[in-house]
Amino acid sequence: MSAWRGILAVAAFQLRRLLAPQRVIVAALAATFPAAVMLAVRRIAGDIDRNFAVVLLYALVPEMLCMLGLLVTMCPVVADELERGTWQHVAVRPGGRWSLLLGTFLAAVTWTATVALVAIALTLLAAGLPDSGRLAAVFAALVVVSCVGRAALFALPAVIVPKRALVASVAAAFVVEYLAGFLPAVINQLTVSLRLRSLLVHWMGWERALPTELQLLVDPQPAWVQIMAVVLLASVMLVAAGLILARRQFPPAEEA
Amino acid sequence: MIEAAGLVKHFRSADGRVVKAVEGVSFVVGPGEMVGLLGANGVGKTTTMRLIATLLRPTVGTARIDGCDVTVDPLGVRRRLGYLSATTGVPDRLAPREVLQSFGRLYGLDQAVLAHRVPALLDALGLGDCAARPCGRLSTGQRQRVSLGRALVHDPPALVLDEPTSGLDVVGARDLLDLLERLRGEGRSILISTHRLHEIERRCDRFLIIHAGRIVAAGTREEMAAAPGGLEGAFFAAVEPGAHP
Repeated sequence: MSAWRGILAVAAFQLRRLLAPQRVIVAALAATFPAAVMLAVRRIAGDIDRNFAVVLLYALVPEMLCMLGLLVTMCPVVADELERGTWQHVAVRPGGRWSLLLGTFLAAVTWTATVALVAIALTLLAAGLPDSGRLAAVFAALVVVSCVGRAALFALPAVIVPKRALVASVAAAFVVEYLAGFLPAVINQLTVSLRLRSLLVHWMGWERALPTELQLLVDPQPAWVQIMAVVLLASVMLVAAGLILARRQFPPAEEA
Repeated sequence: MIEAAGLVKHFRSADGRVVKAVEGVSFVVGPGEMVGLLGANGVGKTTTMRLIATLLRPTVGTARIDGCDVTVDPLGVRRRLGYLSATTGVPDRLAPREVLQSFGRLYGLDQAVLAHRVPALLDALGLGDCAARPCGRLSTGQRQRVSLGRALVHDPPALVLDEPTSGLDVVGARDLLDLLERLRGEGRSILISTHRLHEIERRCDRFLIIHAGRIVAAGTREEMAAAPGGLEGAFFAAVEPGAHP
């Protein structure tokens, strides 16, 4: 119970930090960007194919927007504290390091998912698709899965190389998610991108329509297996990040 | 009680060299005692304090807070210790009341306890009038008092204060040291580091002089005052043998 109090205190603090006017403006712009792209496509192409609109929405929101949002909110989890001189005050509390990691994770997922959900609503309005309600539910689920998995992925570079976390996380996103994730081999089982694609294909009912060569890029297991795989991956990465953070030492000269 | 027993800390620098920051530091700070850890910049004061506060792990040796060992039970140490550094690190957007409540929750204190303790602490620190004002609009002295409140919110028996008066003006430093004397009077063990000798020469019960990672001199306030040149003379005699203050 007391551990939760610490985690929630950090999450509340981080959300308050994210609610700074500049950040809210950036988030509002980010939320409208996918809708602007969809409108631009409709303007150029006229009536667009439903499947194309779904793939575009998938690329813009659960992939791009969630990635960018989490890079901004999750990567500085330790670097910000070092820079502000607050690391030592958090680290000296019992469970302070775990609270910092998990509270920031909670805040990053909440904030990014909220922005992404607004983006989905706006983009579906812009797309003018007939079954928007069902698509909204599908994409809301994809956004949550994407945020949980990717925030946990970015937690690792954030605690291993705090001062290079952004660069390391971008590298991890490309190498793990977009290189390994598209390799039709055992290694892609360990990526969030495989699970997201598989969920999209499953929920859209595209399994049979998918060309054989593209079927290699998705996992045929049912949706609950994909979701549990992401939960397991995220848990392992968060525990690993927490254990690393619990042992991190920063000599006085390395702070600031 | 704060005990350091043969503390050693070596770092590896970026170019691969071993930096010997602390070399066998031992001392005891008893209940109701305030001990000054004196030294120039970069001689191991902050590293020693961070070893005691469990922010760093000792290479050799250990430290204990009320019997809890930093290497065996760091969580127990953290529950019994209040730590304050020169960098206040107080969030600009939060008010003092919110800072104390947030950090109280990090200690697992429930709302009922915090509802009683936070206002009492704000009053004791002289922050009652600005409890709801964002810390970014407070003076340096007020921010340092918020930081001290953060170190006291869980009512620890021991305090480790790393240059707490750094950045404070004369009045701010005096008020903070007055407050520390009151805390000592409550029976807390206080270890305070500084390189501003005049501020604490009449405040501490004992002094430890650290140089090049080692305790090179130690003595009571009376012993230091009796040395040629007083505390300052004793300090320079210890860190620069043969030199005159």
